[in-house]
Amino acid sequence: MAIRAYQTLNEMLGLPMSSMLPLAAVGSGVLTHFTTVFIFVLFGIFFAALALGVARLVRPNNPNPNKLTTYECGELPRGSSWVRFNVRFYLIALFFIVFDVEVIFLFPWAVVFKQLFPHPQLGPLVFWEMVLFLAILTVGLAYVWGKGDLDWVKKLIEREPAAGEPAAGESATGELEEVTSR
Amino acid sequence: MLETLQVNIPSWSDLGYWRPELTLLSTFLVALIGDLIVRGRRPWVPFTLALAGMLLALGFAVADLGEPAHTVMGSLIIVDGIASFFRILFLVAGLATVLFSWTSEEIMGVKREAKGEYYALLTLLTGGMCVMAEARDILMLFLSMELVGLTSYVLAGYMRTSLRSTEAAVKYVIFAAVSSGIMLYGLSLFYGLTGETTFVGIREALFANPPHPYALLVVVVLVLVGMGYKIAAVPFHHWAPDVYEGAPTPVTAIFSVGPKAAGFALMIRFFYTTLVAGPEAAGTSNLLRLVDWPLLIALLSAVTMTYGNLVALRQTNVKRMLAYSSIAHVGYILMGFLLLTSDGLQAILFYLLVYMLMNLGAFLFVVAINNHLRSEELTDYAGLGFRAPWLATMMFVFLISLTGLPPTAGFIGKFFLFKAVLAQEWYWLAILAGLNSVISLFYYMRVTKAMFFTEPAESDGAAAPLAIKPLEYVVLAALCIPTIGLGIWWGPVRDFADQAIARFNVGI
Repeated sequence: MAIRAYQTLNEMLGLPMSSMLPLAAVGSGVLTHFTTVFIFVLFGIFFAALALGVARLVRPNNPNPNKLTTYECGELPRGSSWVRFNVRFYLIALFFIVFDVEVIFLFPWAVVFKQLFPHPQLGPLVFWEMVLFLAILTVGLAYVWGKGDLDWVKKLIEREPAAGEPAAGESATGELEEVTSR
Repeated sequence: MLETLQVNIPSWSDLGYWRPELTLLSTFLVALIGDLIVRGRRPWVPFTLALAGMLLALGFAVADLGEPAHTVMGSLIIVDGIASFFRILFLVAGLATVLFSWTSEEIMGVKREAKGEYYALLTLLTGGMCVMAEARDILMLFLSMELVGLTSYVLAGYMRTSLRSTEAAVKYVIFAAVSSGIMLYGLSLFYGLTGETTFVGIREALFANPPHPYALLVVVVLVLVGMGYKIAAVPFHHWAPDVYEGAPTPVTAIFSVGPKAAGFALMIRFFYTTLVAGPEAAGTSNLLRLVDWPLLIALLSAVTMTYGNLVALRQTNVKRMLAYSSIAHVGYILMGFLLLTSDGLQAILFYLLVYMLMNLGAFLFVVAINNHLRSEELTDYAGLGFRAPWLATMMFVFLISLTGLPPTAGFIGKFFLFKAVLAQEWYWLAILAGLNSVISLFYYMRVTKAMFFTEPAESDGAAAPLAIKPLEYVVLAALCIPTIGLGIWWGPVRDFADQAIARFNVGI
């Protein structure tokens, strides 16, 4: 069906069969999947247009400036959105991604592991590869821990500032001074 | 279940052909742990580890030079002539950078920066570039480019408290994200056209069913955008001057050579494999005519070299001037890509090696001067010929080599490139490149004039000789001697490049 729809589409666009973009393998699996995707996209656009169009016909029209304000969990939005976030939030996001990715890799591995483990060649390979992957991530965790990035308030001790440098602790103002003095 | 799994079983013994990369990757981990153990207080620990790791990797790379081509990790990686050639190039560049970083005030002078991370990341960067030269699968291509990219962003922003360095890192990330996105789109269309992810599979599918010319043109251009960004070709160059100026100078030195050469290595393997079946089959390929490849590359090359040179004329900051000059050199090197022939490939390999020596030398000279003067402005270079005569003389050699004057390696490199272009009868491109070399003479000689023919300003100590460290002399001389030597006796290196091409594998 998908192939037929695809061919019809090409004919509608007036393209000869020989000049179709995915000429290589119509009907051989790969491209029929893409055709499905394409039909999904078409249907998605159609569905969105339909829903919005019907809503426009039936809804009451009652504009209000409050409806256009930014939604901020019940608070009144104040000031610009260009504010500085504490860098610690980004650190947490980074850790999350690291371990999230780790789990994403572990899941498919765990699914096939039981079947692959008895295999004489693949078994040890599959096992030790995951051990290596986890070991590398552990080194990363140890590094972050050792550098004090897991503490909510990072200690900036043991690094006494050199002569002519601002103290390491007072970051914001110190760094600005250093930058402007360049 | 197992019988139906169509997996190309990778074996441990394959990894034997990957010793340099494995050495670099384990050095990265060991340097990180080593730095953790000494709590960042002894920067010589990660430095020594990185140095030892790179030397060991270089030893392995040299020992594996004569090996026939082998795939590693199933079909994702191939170690062949081109890969071995670039491996050595990257490791030499990495070694010189590690050594020079040790002398650099920008890197070592600041107390609180994490020096362990710096040396560890340099090793990882070198390893990533080696993988870029070895990728033979779309997935590995992207993964290796991201590996090099991610380490590069951190290195560019290494001077945390410097506004310029931070700006460089952010710009680098944003430009890289956009261009990788575009390239990824192109690669996905390549997969859509052919249903294959290996370069060889793509070529076979393309030749079996030539796609519509415009489809192929769009795909090739999209992929070229990503690679053009990596090598900083105009019009994808906007990140380069700011990143080069903002990053610490030793990092700029390796940026201008390493990732650029790695981008070329990737381009060589990708396009020589997918569009033609290797350098010998270049003349017969109908795919090249399908996308009008020569015109595409000729335009890219002409615009790149002209823009780089014209903008370099106006720069007063030596680092920024060298950044634009490195863009211009990309334009020269692209001339070798015109018809994907073996002449062109030989010229590219030879020029990249020469370019590595002379450009690294010029940037490391800027590092050495920055250590003493804390400045990269051309006006502060006045009188350096008398304050640091040996260093300035070596810089002079690098500059005339960058211009392409005999008797230096740059001349021979340009000679091969021009020969390859003229053999394909692209006369206008050759003339344009000649004119560009003349333009470049002006701004390179401006540095020479400042160093040797301008009196230093009359202020306290401004005319005193500089106390150059022995390591600076040694590394610069190690780059300078081959720069002259290859201008007189280039045979061995040309043979080295020829052997790499002869063992360039596009078929496994």
